[in-house]
Amino acid sequence: MSEKGEKGFSVQKRPAKSSLKSSALKDASLKGKDDSLSKLKKGRKVQFDAQGSVDATNTFSMKYSGKNGDLGKGGKGANTKASIAKEPQALELKIEQELPKNVKCQCLMDCEAAQLLQGIQDQMVFLSADPTIKIPTSFDRGLQYAKRANHYVNAESVRPVLETLKKYGVTDSEICVIANVCPDTTDEVFALLPSLKRKRSKLSEPINNVLSELAKVKSS
Amino acid sequence: MFFHIVLERNMQLHPRHFGRNLRENLVSKLMKDVEGTCSGRHGFVVAITGIENIGKGLIRDGTGFVTFPVKYQCVVFRPFKGEILEAVVTMVNKMGFFAEAGPVQIFVSNHLIPDDMEFQSGDVPNYTTSDGSVKIQKDSEVRLKIIGTRVDATEIFCIGTIKDDFLGVINDPSAA
Repeated sequence: MSEKGEKGFSVQKRPAKSSLKSSALKDASLKGKDDSLSKLKKGRKVQFDAQGSVDATNTFSMKYSGKNGDLGKGGKGANTKASIAKEPQALELKIEQELPKNVKCQCLMDCEAAQLLQGIQDQMVFLSADPTIKIPTSFDRGLQYAKRANHYVNAESVRPVLETLKKYGVTDSEICVIANVCPDTTDEVFALLPSLKRKRSKLSEPINNVLSELAKVKSS
Repeated sequence: MFFHIVLERNMQLHPRHFGRNLRENLVSKLMKDVEGTCSGRHGFVVAITGIENIGKGLIRDGTGFVTFPVKYQCVVFRPFKGEILEAVVTMVNKMGFFAEAGPVQIFVSNHLIPDDMEFQSGDVPNYTTSDGSVKIQKDSEVRLKIIGTRVDATEIFCIGTIKDDFLGVINDPSAA
């Protein structure tokens, strides 16, 4: 492990020296930060319902300490920690906020995109009379990707199944990620979409139902 | 993730394109100009799917060019932080590996590869677990999570991780 860590420092921007020298010292200081951070986290969590908050903080601190020990990148220090600390909570939620507000925008599942792009490509054959229009590489790559990531026999049947999650407050983007990932278990859903963990108690049941429905239309 | 999105663009058209085919000319110019481009706000424009409306043209002073505001629907591909993607590995080295998901390039540093996977150099450089049960090499399919993005004029570059639950290799080309 230490060997791997050292190797990696060549890609790190921070100097490796400081981390090696002061690792013991850093450890102590990191622990201190850990505490304060997790406290902060708990403080923030109070607003959520009881079970959810316990869930979230538990898994969070577990992952957190894991990252801490495994990576062993003392040099990076508090900076990384802060970003790691924020990310698992905010990651998915951001999609809706990051999208431009003033334009109409709809998330597409990979299976829907595959269907749409395939339709365009089929048309291209007839449209290609104009040699000045050439299909850009990003189209081919997009189509290739969408086809590969398509896990379902029937693209139309996927959305109605997952839309039932909407009434539990699952966002469009989260629905699309679930569809694209095509998970087998509810644990997988919550591990991959940390933003849903807060509502775990409410969501476990409906997600379980949805996954068993999806399993029926899975292609393999 | 793919999105269906409505965008607007001011198209400048030379007077020689006017006449009966003005609309077709405008649309084919739009396709040439827009498809395959990439912006930080919207991501890669993969394909135009339809024209919402074309506004009134405005003659530019001094030139004969006319500017038309065009609203069009298109499919864009944009990666987000925290998104889970399935990507194909394109290159493996001791720093980590590169993978591709559609038009997007993703780098996974060896810090973000599980600790039990070690780099093996050779003809086919790869990351392998100590028991050899899992191997990441060129053309492997991996499920990864995007943790950072950088947007360029012409491409989007991402940093990904496979060091988490339910992430990692989903199919192995050498096993098949």
